[in-house]
Amino acid sequence: MSQPAEPGLSAVAIASPAAWAPAEGRGVRRLVPESWLQAFIWVLVLVAVLAPVLPLVYASVQSQPLYTPGRVFTLAAYRQLFAAPAFRTAALNTLEFAGLTTAFSVLLGGGFAVLCGRTNVLGRRVYARLFIVPILLPPLGLILGWNALYGPGGYAHDFVNQTLHIPFDLTTVPGMAVLGTAVAVPVVFLVCRAALSGIDSALENSARSAGASPLRALARITVPMLRPALLNSGLLVFTLSIEALGIPLLLGSPQGHDLIASYLYNTWSSAITPDPPVVSAGATVLLAAACLLLLLRSRLLGDQARFVSVGRPGAAAGDGVQLGTFTRVLFGALLALYLLATTFAPIAALALSSVVYQLTPLIAPWHLFTLSNWRMATQGVFAHSIQNSVEIAVVGAALTAAVVALATAVAHRSRFALRRSVPFLLLFPRAIPGIIIGIGFFWTFLLVNPPGSALRNSIWGIMLALSIRSVTLAYFVMSSSFATVSESLDDAARSGGANWWTTMTRIVLPILRPALFVSLILLFISILNDYDPALFLVTPGHEIMGVAMLDAAQQGTTGPVAALAMVQVAITVVAIAVGGRLFATRIRGSRHA
Amino acid sequence: MPEISVQGLSKTFGREHALYDVSFSVRDKEFLTLLGPSGCGKTTTLMSIAGLQRPDEGMISCGDRVFFDRASRVFLAAEDRNLGMVVQSYAIWPHLTVFGNVAFPLKIRRMGKDAARRRVLEILELVEMAGYAERYPHELSGGQQQRVALARALVYSPAVLLLDEPFSNLDAKLRERARTWLKHLQSELGLTTIFVTHDQDEALSLSDRIVVMNAGAVLQVGAPEDIYHRPRTRFVAEFVGHCNVLAARAVAATSSGSTKLALEANGRPIIVSGEDLAAGDQVQLAVRPEAIHLDDHDDVAGGNDAAGENSYPAEVRAVSFLGDHYLYELDLDGLALTVTDARSHAGPAVTVRIPPSACRVLSS
Repeated sequence: MSQPAEPGLSAVAIASPAAWAPAEGRGVRRLVPESWLQAFIWVLVLVAVLAPVLPLVYASVQSQPLYTPGRVFTLAAYRQLFAAPAFRTAALNTLEFAGLTTAFSVLLGGGFAVLCGRTNVLGRRVYARLFIVPILLPPLGLILGWNALYGPGGYAHDFVNQTLHIPFDLTTVPGMAVLGTAVAVPVVFLVCRAALSGIDSALENSARSAGASPLRALARITVPMLRPALLNSGLLVFTLSIEALGIPLLLGSPQGHDLIASYLYNTWSSAITPDPPVVSAGATVLLAAACLLLLLRSRLLGDQARFVSVGRPGAAAGDGVQLGTFTRVLFGALLALYLLATTFAPIAALALSSVVYQLTPLIAPWHLFTLSNWRMATQGVFAHSIQNSVEIAVVGAALTAAVVALATAVAHRSRFALRRSVPFLLLFPRAIPGIIIGIGFFWTFLLVNPPGSALRNSIWGIMLALSIRSVTLAYFVMSSSFATVSESLDDAARSGGANWWTTMTRIVLPILRPALFVSLILLFISILNDYDPALFLVTPGHEIMGVAMLDAAQQGTTGPVAALAMVQVAITVVAIAVGGRLFATRIRGSRHA
Repeated sequence: MPEISVQGLSKTFGREHALYDVSFSVRDKEFLTLLGPSGCGKTTTLMSIAGLQRPDEGMISCGDRVFFDRASRVFLAAEDRNLGMVVQSYAIWPHLTVFGNVAFPLKIRRMGKDAARRRVLEILELVEMAGYAERYPHELSGGQQQRVALARALVYSPAVLLLDEPFSNLDAKLRERARTWLKHLQSELGLTTIFVTHDQDEALSLSDRIVVMNAGAVLQVGAPEDIYHRPRTRFVAEFVGHCNVLAARAVAATSSGSTKLALEANGRPIIVSGEDLAAGDQVQLAVRPEAIHLDDHDDVAGGNDAAGENSYPAEVRAVSFLGDHYLYELDLDGLALTVTDARSHAGPAVTVRIPPSACRVLSS
C-alpha cells in the first residue's frame, strides 16, 4: 500500500469526475419530506396511545352510556362510585394487596438479586435464569396452577395448613398477595440485578479487606447501594399490583374479596343497565392513580431509571462475596425451595390437573387419569380461541415491533421537532391498567365508526388493544439497542446520500435485526398471554385463550381450563426456545466482531 | 471541483461557545487541515460543513451551492451535499460486506447494477482492497477498514472529501504509511480535501494550508512553513512544534532594519530582524529549538564572542538523546531554553547563538 500502482490510479483519476458525478443532477428521489414521515409516525403513536384513554374519561362524566341519546354532563358517576361501600372495600383491599405484594417482593427479589449477583451461592447462574420464568409464563396459567396446589381443596393446601401449621388461605387478600409476590419478584430481581452489575465489586472487596464478614459486607455495602433500585422496583410493583385483575377474579372475588379491577369488571358484567358510566368513572380513578405513581417514580428516580430494566450483562463483577461452604449450600437450597414452591410445583399441578377428572389429594391421580380435558380443550370455542390468540399474537407482535422500531428511530435518531415526546408516549401505556385499555377501546370503537364496528366485530380490535398494552416492552428493548449503534454509522449514510428513511431502513434497523427479533418474541409472548383488555372487547366467535379460560374457570370448569393453560404454556415455551436460539446465534455472530 | 467557503460560523452548546466566528475558505484541489487540540471546535466545523450539525450563525457554501445560510434560513440536508466523509471510527456498516458498503451510495443514486459493480471494483482497486470485496468488516484490520471507508466516501465522486482524524486508530508505523498513501491519492485525483487532526506532524506533512483553531476560534491560516516559521500567537507557536517563548522589551531600532531588545529574565540584549517595533514595546519572542546554534564554550572563547550577535554563555541542565539529535535544556542566566542539536556537547558550559532572523514577535 505504500507504493500504489501508478497506471491504475491515473486511469481512475481521469475517468472519475466526468463519468461519475451524479449526485447533483440525479439527486435522491424523495416522495415525502422526512419530517412528514416522522410526523406521521408520531401521530400514529399519539393516536394509538390516547385512543383508549380520552373516550373513557369522556364516558365517565356523562349521565348515560355514550350510545344513548339525551346524555348530559354530570359528575354523578363519581358520586355514585365513592358512595358505594363495595367500592370502598375494594379500594382498601387493593391498597392492602398492593402494599403486601410490594413489601414481600422487594424483600425477596432484592435478596435474591444480591445472592445471585454478588455471592458464590450454589447454583447462582442457573437460578439467575430461572427467576425470570414467572414473567414469561402465562399469568393465568400460574394463577390456575397456584389454585390447583394451594387453593381450597388444592393438592398442597392441607400439607401447608395442617402439617406445616401455616394458616394460608389463597382467597383472602394476604393470600392473594403471596401469589402477587411470586409474580412480582422477577420484576424486582431484574431491576436490582441490572443495578448491581453497574456497581464495582471492588467496593465489597474493600469492605472485606477492612475486616467485614461476607454477609456484613453485603448488608452494609451492597444493599444500601441498591436503595434506588429497590425504590424504583417497589414503585413499579405497586403500580402493577393496583391493576391486578386475574388474581382477584379467580381467587378472591368468589369469596367476596374484590380488588378494584375485579369490582369494576363484576359491576360491568352484572349491571342491570348495560355499560354504566360508574365503571368508566372507576376506571378513570384507577388510571389517575397509576399515572400519579409512575409520575412519582420518574420524579424520584430521574430519567435513567426508566431504562433500568436493561442490564449490562457480563459487567466485570468478579466473583463477589465468598460465602462459607455451609452458607452457600444452605442459601442455594432455600432458593431451590422457593422456585419449586412458587413456580415449578404450581405448573406441575396445572399439568397434572389437565390429565385427571379431578385433582384431589384424597385419591391417587393415576386412578383419575383422563384425556377428555385435552379433547375438550382442542374443540369448539377453546380450539377457536387458540387459533384467534395465535393469529392476534403473530400479527400484533409484527406490527407493534415495526411501529415501535420506527417510533424509537424518530425518538433517538432524528431531528424531528417533537421527538422528545415520543419516549413519554411509548412509556405511557405502561401506566394504563389493562381493564382501562379494554373499557377505553370499547368506547372508542363505538365513537369512531368506521372503523369501530369492524374492529369490534373481529379479532383485530382485541389485537389493537393488546398490542398497545405491550408497546412499552418493545420500547425498552429497542431504545437500549439503538444506544449501542454508533451514530457515526448514520452520519456515514447521510453524507453518502441516504435520507433519514433510507438510513433507518437500510442501515440502522438491519444492524439491529437481533434486537428486533428479541422484541418480536417478547411481544408475541406478551400479547399471547395477556387478557385483561380483551375481557371488555370479546364478542361471540372472537374469543381468545385467556378470556375463554377465565369464563370457563368462573363457571367451575377446571380440567379443560388447565389443558388450555398448558397449551398456552407450551406455545410460550416454544417461542422462548426459538427466541433463545436467536439469542444464541446473535452471541455466536458477535463473537466474530 | 468548487471552492468551499465558510463565513462567520458560530455555535453554542448551552453556554459553551463551540465555534466563534469561524471563517476560512478551501480552494479547488486543495488539502486543507483544521488543526487544534481536542475540544477546539475543529470537528464541529467539519460536521457543520457535512450538514450533520447545524450552526447557529454564519454561512457555508460550496461553489455556487449554498449549504447553510442563517440569514436566508437555508439548510441543505447532509445527504444532498454530495460530500465524502471518513470519520475516526470509520463507521463501516457491520451488516454489509465491503462491496455492500461501497455500493450503498451508488444504490442511493440509482446507478445501474452493472455500472455500479464496475465502479465499486474500480474504486476498491484504487484503495488496494479489490481482493476483499466479499469480506465483512469484522474480518478486516484497522488499516483495511480505513481504506474501505475511504472507498465508500470516494465512490460517488464527491465534491469534497472530509476526513475526521482518519489515522488516529492506526498504530504509528501504519499511520505513517497511510499518510503518504493518502497524500499521493489526494494529489493524483485532485480531491479537494478538508482534514481534521490534532496531530501537528500529520498537519504539516499533508496539508497545502493549515487552519489552526483553539477554543472555537481560528487563530491562524497559512501554508505549513508559514505556520511553523511565522506563528502569529503564542498558542500557535507552542502547539505546532516546540518553541521557546522569551519575554523582552524593545530598546531601540538599529541601522539595518533590526531592533534591539532586552530579555526580561536577565536583561541581556537581543537583536531581532524583520520586525517592526517601537522602543518600550513589551513583546514575546518565539524561537524554535532547532534554530538556535550551540557551540562548546571553548570554541567561542577564541574571539567569536565579540563578533557574534545574540551569543550568550549558558549552562547545560539536562540532555536527552533522541536518535537523530540531542535535546538540551539550558540555563541562560536564569532563562530556561530548549535547544536541539545533532552534535553532542560535553558541557556543562556552552555558548548559544540565536540568529536575529529566527526570532518571531508574537502578538498578544
